[in-house]
Amino acid sequence: MENTNTIEMHHIDKTFGHDTSKIQVLKDIEFTAQRGEMSLVIGPSGSGKSTFLTIAGGLQTPTAGEVRVEDTPLTAIPVKKRDALRLNKIGFILQAYNLVPFLTVREQFRFVDRIKGATHMTEDELMALLDDLGIRDLINKYPSELSGGQTQRVAIARALYPNPEIVLADEPTAALDSERVTVVGELLRDLAKKHNKSIIVVTHDMRLKQFADHIYEILDGNMRQAS
Amino acid sequence: MYLAWKEIKHEKLRYGLIIGMILLISYLVYILSGLAFGLAQQNTEAIDSWGAQSVILDKDANTSLQQSMLTKSQTDKMTLTKQESYVGQSAIVAKEANHAKVSAQFIGLDWDQFIGKKLVLTSGHKPTKANQVVVDDGFKTSNYKLGDTIKFNSNADTYKIVGFTHNAKIDIAPVVYGDLSTWRTLKKLPDTFVASGVISQNAQYKPGVDQLKNYSVAAFINKLPGYSAQNMTFTFMIAFLMIISLVVIAVFLYILTIQKIPNYAVLRAQGVPSRVLVSNTINQALLLVFGGLALGVGLTALTAALLPAGVPIAFNWPILAVVTVGILLTGVIGALIPVKLILKVDPVSVIA
Repeated sequence: MENTNTIEMHHIDKTFGHDTSKIQVLKDIEFTAQRGEMSLVIGPSGSGKSTFLTIAGGLQTPTAGEVRVEDTPLTAIPVKKRDALRLNKIGFILQAYNLVPFLTVREQFRFVDRIKGATHMTEDELMALLDDLGIRDLINKYPSELSGGQTQRVAIARALYPNPEIVLADEPTAALDSERVTVVGELLRDLAKKHNKSIIVVTHDMRLKQFADHIYEILDGNMRQAS
Repeated sequence: MYLAWKEIKHEKLRYGLIIGMILLISYLVYILSGLAFGLAQQNTEAIDSWGAQSVILDKDANTSLQQSMLTKSQTDKMTLTKQESYVGQSAIVAKEANHAKVSAQFIGLDWDQFIGKKLVLTSGHKPTKANQVVVDDGFKTSNYKLGDTIKFNSNADTYKIVGFTHNAKIDIAPVVYGDLSTWRTLKKLPDTFVASGVISQNAQYKPGVDQLKNYSVAAFINKLPGYSAQNMTFTFMIAFLMIISLVVIAVFLYILTIQKIPNYAVLRAQGVPSRVLVSNTINQALLLVFGGLALGVGLTALTAALLPAGVPIAFNWPILAVVTVGILLTGVIGALIPVKLILKVDPVSVIA
């Protein structure tokens, strides 16, 4: 039977500092993300949400425990392979500074093509994605010419552009109004359902709850499944 | 290269200033090396034009043609071939009633020997009678012309300019070519003195006289008054300028890289390999340095074309190539210094 798990995290601990300044940010985390599902990870500031996301995406290693992405143990492979895994399998949607400031919106996508050596969407497919996010008219603008909400939507489009198996999003709706939150929420849910992707969103934004299949809460480094 | 070029195009002012800085540095280095080479050339132009391999002088003359004197009893023992030529040198002031005085070097020749035969004129003819001279084109800047009669030092004798020659300078002074009897007159020497020295196209020429010694042209040139000191001064100026340029360019590129760290962190988070970012940084440095150098070459060429003829500037391709490669390497080294920073970029910094 095919394994539908995209990310598996077992007994994850993450500790920063040494001796008296030692802080345990994550404690014995158990988490599994599956294809076709959208998971929401909520929690107050400083609870360890972002640390959880960086470990899930292979940006940093846990102090203890095991992370597997698409059956590949992240903790056991070299940095170069982790980079390649992120480039090919994972799309990141980050809170800020996630667009290259000297590339136009169109060039942000073409740069991804250049790095990966392949064209990921035809012009029509790209325009359709931008239409969904309401940013088609911004195609020739530079990031400095965009509002916070527009920047965030371009960042979402760029993360989805290479058609990643897994999307990790850090506060993807922080700068958006309710109407746009609905658009982004539906887009992420459709990605999971229609395209069989695995979506993990770390957020404060409770407006996204309605789109999630699973909701997890992190509090003082402990994760539990919320209702 | 894609990112590097796009960034330069978008941030025109910022990168324009850096290209401008490299332009000014390269311009300064090119002009300085041009002046150094031009000045060095004016020390030896005439000697170079003779195609000499060795110089035979009195061994007590401290390798100075001006201080050396060959007597008739010495030259009688020497066997001169077609490759040897007597030369008598004397520093003079040339003057004419209607023109400015010119400090020059008189070179007395036997016009039947190889230097006299080889001499290429730009106008006029070689001396056919006594008291006729050929002078360097440098005299034209003081409005001397063919047919002018000039006097040397406080002598009453007059000499007619019958020809002009090009690139004839020794010790940065224009040369006046005359005959050896005029040299004796200027030096107030009796007929028992023949010349200052012998110039030979044969590096191994043996004078066969104990008191005379064969010097290589390189050794002779290095002993020209002030020649080595002047060249060393310019070499050190250019070397220090290159070192300071390295520091300035490296600091600029370092600051630029620090400013880009947040962008690089985002790209690293997305899985863009470090080597892409490193090659982008080096490519960008090369583009900036190439741009600055190209404009520097253009500005140098324009300056050289506009400078008055009296300014001793000359360009030598091997020297220019070394300077260009030096600045290019300076840029690459400057770009390599912040590479460690790029390799250490922490993608977590843009999330956590």
